[in-house]
Amino acid sequence: MAENTRSLRRRLDRLFIPLTVGPTVLWIAGVILYPTLQLLWSSLFYTNPITQEKQFVGLDNFASLIFENGTVGALNPDLVQFTKHTLVYVGCSVTISFLLGLGIAMLLNKDLKGRGWIRTAVIVPWILPYVMSGLMWRWMFQTQYGAINGVLVGGGVISEQIPFLSDGTLAMMALIIADVWVFTPFIIIILLAGLQNVPEQLYDAAEVDGASRWSRFWNVTYPFLKPSILVALTIRIIFDIRALDLVWVMTHGGPGKSTEVWASWLYRTAMVFGDTGQGAALGVVMLAVTFAVVAVLYKVFGGTPYET
Amino acid sequence: MSTKTDTLSRVRRSLNLNTEDEWSSVVRDRMVAYGLLALYVVVVWFPIYYILITSFKAPSETLSFPITFYPHDPTLSNYVEIFQNRPFGTYTLNSLIVAGTTTLICVTLGTLSGYTFSRYDFLGNKALLLSIIAARMIPPIALIVPFFEIMSNPPVIGALTGSLYNTKAALILTYTFFNLPFAVWIMKNYFDGVPRSLDEQAQVDGCSTWEGFFKVILPVAKPGIAATAILAFIFSWNEFVFALVLTSSEVSQTLPIGVSLFVADDFIDWAHLAAGGMIAALPGILFGLFFQRYIVSGLTQGAVKE
Repeated sequence: MAENTRSLRRRLDRLFIPLTVGPTVLWIAGVILYPTLQLLWSSLFYTNPITQEKQFVGLDNFASLIFENGTVGALNPDLVQFTKHTLVYVGCSVTISFLLGLGIAMLLNKDLKGRGWIRTAVIVPWILPYVMSGLMWRWMFQTQYGAINGVLVGGGVISEQIPFLSDGTLAMMALIIADVWVFTPFIIIILLAGLQNVPEQLYDAAEVDGASRWSRFWNVTYPFLKPSILVALTIRIIFDIRALDLVWVMTHGGPGKSTEVWASWLYRTAMVFGDTGQGAALGVVMLAVTFAVVAVLYKVFGGTPYET
Repeated sequence: MSTKTDTLSRVRRSLNLNTEDEWSSVVRDRMVAYGLLALYVVVVWFPIYYILITSFKAPSETLSFPITFYPHDPTLSNYVEIFQNRPFGTYTLNSLIVAGTTTLICVTLGTLSGYTFSRYDFLGNKALLLSIIAARMIPPIALIVPFFEIMSNPPVIGALTGSLYNTKAALILTYTFFNLPFAVWIMKNYFDGVPRSLDEQAQVDGCSTWEGFFKVILPVAKPGIAATAILAFIFSWNEFVFALVLTSSEVSQTLPIGVSLFVADDFIDWAHLAAGGMIAALPGILFGLFFQRYIVSGLTQGAVKE
């Protein structure tokens, strides 16, 4: 009896690794391999939006994505325009939220009373549903009854309400503000964790040596902060390239096409117009760009981003 | 933790602040820090406050100018109406089922495999772990076409289930795909911080590997599990894009979709939308206020969000 239980236990122990890791590995192999292969496969077909019939077209989807009329020559004007929008959106909001987040993180790193409460208050925007944040900002920017116009007109700053979301440039600006609002907490948390790795004695030593604030930041803080900066920027950038939620509910890519970015373009192409092959081709391009961006950031900041 | 006076005198000594002048410049620094942080918090919370008060305003007050900064005639009717005239009860239930099930799967599988990845060298363990990180890098939006196709016409299990389009199961499967790598990563890092002497002690005490894991390691891992669970729950509760692609009716639509549907109307009913938005935002606000510690530790260990 006892002998049997022991051998059963030994057998179960031998199976510990396969039983604990197996399900996860199978599941994740599913997410890496199967949908990615399906994506590559779908990008080679034209799907009739009405009949759902598929027709093999080779690389035609990529040709029409990159070139006007799908033949080698002038670039596809949509691609050029939406790439510009994506660059402006990602570039501005990542830069602003990074600088703002760094500033707030450095303030929070001070030995302040009530720091825990401030950190709690600061984190909340990031954990609300993006849809709700997007709609909330749409309501804030609403022309007639929105709070921003309400405050500006009420405070006598402007005399007439500004239609923020009906003007291309202003709408892009509104999207960037919303995006900064949502994602600055993320930067703050990651950078604050990095700042807490800096040994305090180093600051004291630098202070005694009479180092300026700037030189203290550059020579003491920055080297310790580099891994966290890499994590924060990588994740911010790749997330912004692919984020659809805010754009979709705030502007729908409009007015006109003035806030259409890659993510909303992909969704519109594949799901609204039903051109899944073309959408998949754009998906392949986004996948490639994401990996390229990650590779460049590693080159600049070095190391693996996951070793904070 | 030193007491406040200790901290102050330590700071004072270490900074070599002997004269009152130098000392007051430190105080001034601190006041500026408080001021800037307070300003930031007020600006950041204003939109949340504004949508909150909108949810308690009568629809007519929502459309008044000059705008009001508190509900002059507070009412719960917006909340009552979205549950009566719109299926917000169903949306909430769907969200709970989808986010709850996803969390359960992610925590279970993530804890088990996170532990093994942390403790054992086995064939291909490094390659597997790297693949799991790579899975985090894949932009989900790039995969909306394959996921739509796979769920509409599932391979292998499709013979049993038929199309999974517009089912909660499709959302649970998808969210688990995206959250599990994250869960594994948080738990692996968490277990890395748990001393190995605990495992050894369990073995000396005659526990099998399984017993040691369940009786000794798991209780110690509670904070890590809490972090994983909270983040997995929030991510799946908040998810919008795949819910938009994979669902089409109340059977499976979640709260974010329910809220977004207000925009499809010709006239946006802001008061009702605000009430729906607050319902959708509730877990985020509550978790943020009460479990911030776990969210931060999970984030800095996993450093990623969908």
